[in-house]
Amino acid sequence: MLIPSITTLAALIKIGLLVGGLMTAAAYFVLLERWIAAWVQDRRGPNRVGIPLTNIRLFGLGQPFADGLKIILKEDFTPRHVDRVLYTAAPLLILAASLAIFAAIPFGSVLPPLGIPGLPDPISLLVAPSLDVGVLWVFALSSIAVYGVLLGGWASNNKYGFLGGLRSSAQLVAYEIPLGLGLLGVVLSSGSLKLDVIIHAQATTGIWNVVAQPLGFLVFVIASFAEAARLPFDLPEAEQELVGGYHTEYSGIRLLLFLVAEFLHMITASFLIVILFFGGWHLWGVTGAGSEITWIGAIVRFGIFSLKVFSVIVFFMLVRWSWPRFRFDQLMNLAWKVMLPLGLANLVVIATIEEFRPQLTGSLGEPFVSLVTLGAPWATFFLCWITAGLLSSSKPDNRPILTAGPLDIEQELVRGRR
Amino acid sequence: MRIPPFSSPGLLLAGAVTLTALALWLLLPRSSSTRAARGVGYVFGTVALVAFIMSGRRMGCIGDEVVFSIVSIVAVVSGAATILTRSPVYSAIWFALSLAGVSGVLLVLGAQFLGVATIVVYAGAILVMFLFVLMLAQPSGLAPYDRVSNEPFLSAVSGAVLLGLLSLVIGRMSLNENFSESSAFAGFVANNPALLERQLLQDDHVARLGSQMFGRHLVSVEVAGVLLLVSLIGSIAIVSRNTESQSKTLLRGGLRDE
Repeated sequence: MLIPSITTLAALIKIGLLVGGLMTAAAYFVLLERWIAAWVQDRRGPNRVGIPLTNIRLFGLGQPFADGLKIILKEDFTPRHVDRVLYTAAPLLILAASLAIFAAIPFGSVLPPLGIPGLPDPISLLVAPSLDVGVLWVFALSSIAVYGVLLGGWASNNKYGFLGGLRSSAQLVAYEIPLGLGLLGVVLSSGSLKLDVIIHAQATTGIWNVVAQPLGFLVFVIASFAEAARLPFDLPEAEQELVGGYHTEYSGIRLLLFLVAEFLHMITASFLIVILFFGGWHLWGVTGAGSEITWIGAIVRFGIFSLKVFSVIVFFMLVRWSWPRFRFDQLMNLAWKVMLPLGLANLVVIATIEEFRPQLTGSLGEPFVSLVTLGAPWATFFLCWITAGLLSSSKPDNRPILTAGPLDIEQELVRGRR
Repeated sequence: MRIPPFSSPGLLLAGAVTLTALALWLLLPRSSSTRAARGVGYVFGTVALVAFIMSGRRMGCIGDEVVFSIVSIVAVVSGAATILTRSPVYSAIWFALSLAGVSGVLLVLGAQFLGVATIVVYAGAILVMFLFVLMLAQPSGLAPYDRVSNEPFLSAVSGAVLLGLLSLVIGRMSLNENFSESSAFAGFVANNPALLERQLLQDDHVARLGSQMFGRHLVSVEVAGVLLLVSLIGSIAIVSRNTESQSKTLLRGGLRDE
């Protein structure tokens, strides 16, 4: 009973690799983010910290250790006015949820048969390979992350923290809907909720979903920026103008947990974008599509997968320095009036195509079918683009129009405007 | 084999029900409750939980699975804490934890879709809305009548009796083959391990669930959807009638301009 079975052991090894890899990756991505920020702003960035007690700089590769050590050794201060239990539970909850998401996310393809007795071959690079509802699992745990934000803000018992918590949980809840709609199109076309099967479907057809569902891709990417609270959607934090957010009162290791969780959300989003829309480990002519592979094949697939994820993360970081932040009403308008209809349009088109694909294949030739199944989503994409462009104002000043409300201050604001 | 209702597991169950009722009655938030009474309530509650588990084991519905035991105890204890705590926010958190426990039970039993959907729907959507309201509605403490239970005795007794009856029915179902075959539960898949293996735990059970919901039960799904839409439109109508000008402002903000 107490000796774990070989499958449990394999799962534990995978979990260890994944958590260790993710934590290290998160630390080094912070360094990368600072380098990219420096490059964009035409300065040098962190390049001093190398091996301690020597003069070897190593391009600043020791910076993450120094940063981590500093924030861990800082005083872990608990203000007297907070709700102690929830104040501690909130960062733990959000970090646990954002790590547990990776149980359903494949981080490669499969390993070739190892020949270990009791272990089913081939071993898939996924912590929970028999989880049938991977996409839903990801979705469920990302909605659990809202609790961390909300409770952190409430338990701080501070108006800035509380309003920040409300602001960011409203954002997270609002953008979950377009996120789900973008995801549903992919699930419909590949016919499975398992992420490895979704990759496999793209690998066998050779058509990545970014080509097959451009509108769904757009909606999903924008929504995942908002879910990861990256700039243009970093209203949860907005340190320059809004006194931080739900973690205003936090310091030391508990603040670190929040920040790591936020970073992990970005990494999760990049993994999902690559898996759902860029074919996961697949690359034409290099990786093949079958599940019988050699060690070299497995490593190549892992390398291509990691490279794609890395590129998406770099894209996230470049966007940070390219776009100004949204105002909160713009954020909500974008979610409910632009992203929601676009996501629905994408879903309807994809559902129609998937419904009539067998009939079309039966009556018409194969090239015509692929023309229709690729042409209709692109036509929808441009149609929606034009419609959204026509409906939105071209004026730069889009502040909300104030009318006289019940409060004195509102009356005065309106009078001042006119 | 048919058990008389007052054989050993039945007796144990009756004791557990009585203890549960007493514990709930002692622990439910009231205007005046002493520390000693609450201590006795905690002891009774623990004993009742142990008695429930023992009777379940004797009736053969609780096995040796460690994970199952842990998540189900989490579900039960946090479910009790939901109604016993005084702070509404903590109540909601305990409820979320209880849902997590239930979802864990479902995952262990192989009903993956239900397990994850429980989290998505209840913990992820409904309870977050609850939390929003609770946090905003509680600026400076609560009124006393919000903190106490209205009918502690009746609710404790009825809840415990319901719990006992359900346990009895489920326990007999797992004990008595004839009972399950002869009654309305004849088609209940869980009674038949082979059928369970074949129908529920196979790889594409999500697809099966989907085809059932949108094939056989299409009308009910659609009716539920329309109902939700109507309630949504109704709430928007109520809001916009009250503050016509404000809602116009809100609707016109952001994208459209004058």
